[in-house]
Amino acid sequence: MIYLDSAATTLQKPPSVLRSVLYHGQRAASPGRGGYAQALYASQVVYRCRMQAARLFDAADEGHVVMTCNATHGLNIAIRSLVKLGDTVVVSGYEHNAVTRTLAAIPEVTVRVASGPLFAPQALLDAFRRQLPGADAAVCTHVSNVFGYILPIAEIAALCRRYGVPLVVDAAQSAGTLPVETEGWGAQYVAMPGHKGLYGPQGTGLLICGKDASPQPVLYGGTGSESQKQTMPDFLPDRLEAGTQNVCGIAGLNEGLRFVREKGAATIAAHEQRLTRLLARLLRERCGERVKVFAGEGQSGVLSFCPNGTDCEAFATALADRGFAVRAGLHCAPLAHQTAGTLETGTVRASFSAFNREGEVRAFADAVCGELKK
Amino acid sequence: MFYYLIVCRSLTQAQQRLAALERSGLTAHLLRTPKELAEHGCGYSVKIAERNLKGALVALHRAELSPTRLYRIAGDGSYREVAL
Repeated sequence: MIYLDSAATTLQKPPSVLRSVLYHGQRAASPGRGGYAQALYASQVVYRCRMQAARLFDAADEGHVVMTCNATHGLNIAIRSLVKLGDTVVVSGYEHNAVTRTLAAIPEVTVRVASGPLFAPQALLDAFRRQLPGADAAVCTHVSNVFGYILPIAEIAALCRRYGVPLVVDAAQSAGTLPVETEGWGAQYVAMPGHKGLYGPQGTGLLICGKDASPQPVLYGGTGSESQKQTMPDFLPDRLEAGTQNVCGIAGLNEGLRFVREKGAATIAAHEQRLTRLLARLLRERCGERVKVFAGEGQSGVLSFCPNGTDCEAFATALADRGFAVRAGLHCAPLAHQTAGTLETGTVRASFSAFNREGEVRAFADAVCGELKK
Repeated sequence: MFYYLIVCRSLTQAQQRLAALERSGLTAHLLRTPKELAEHGCGYSVKIAERNLKGALVALHRAELSPTRLYRIAGDGSYREVAL
């Protein structure tokens, strides 16, 4: 099987990640809950992960790195902390349901969509400039999970600062490949999964809180600190980390972060982008009018296409029968499809990781063309 | 024989102080805060030898992690808070 669904999760992990999960499953007890060796060891493991993440993602310090279950968990904390009943929130036209459903669950919130065509950052910036004045918060993805469109997040963050609008960044598709600069952007929160571009296990994620953030917990319970109080601690990260932590997962994530740091996020990004461009070129050259390819400048390792005249889900199933793992449909991002005009059809999406090779892309293009000729 | 305890509000705060001391070449240890000293229940502290206290306070100040609660612990377990 050739795996091309890393935008969902990176299936192939560095061996050190898997070794670390197993190793710590046998040696690490519950962090922050005891003074014996195995508990203190677990605490060290979690702290090392915080340290690496703080450096990679420009956190104010390790205390502002919160362990979550996934990016959605982090986005829920961030959005529920910032957005209150009756608020007005600006989002990009490329948001995931992790953002839009969370906003929809807060009563009487007005959502303004800053929309612009694919791979046209200036139009998007103009839209944000129009929508931001008077808003209470902004939420923006760094990279579209459907189209791989890299949004001009640094410029959007600058606009948010200018209009005094607190910003939440969804870095689900960028962490591990693109620079994530929490403090540099002046973002209130940056949420990311551990199991995609950071190569950690599923069930891990990070929420980087800006130094001025005042987060509200979505989960209440034991933290191993200030146990006599019946309110959650008012300091980070304890305020947002109720219950026993996923230490094995965090140990794996720590190794994933090390892998990204040693290989270099820019190197991984360049590799994935090269594969994206290759696939776009091969599909256009060899399939012609039979396929619509969504490719452009400023694209990550994610490529969507529509096979003309064929249901995208059926097409992905046929590709699975040929040994290729890709995702089809709306990718939990109907707003992005609405913006790009693909809400009715959905798309087939191929997405890459550091472990994919050019030969796999060529084989995939052969398979797509072969299916289209049927 | 005395030692000192920097009482921290959270495990992470204790770990940050421990890391700062280690970066300065000072030996320190992480341990659970004795129940009597924990202000609101459970917590963690950083244990420092008497001879390292001065250097530790300088290193922590430099790292913007100055302690807010410091205790001097005697060999028999008795303690007194040190004014900071």
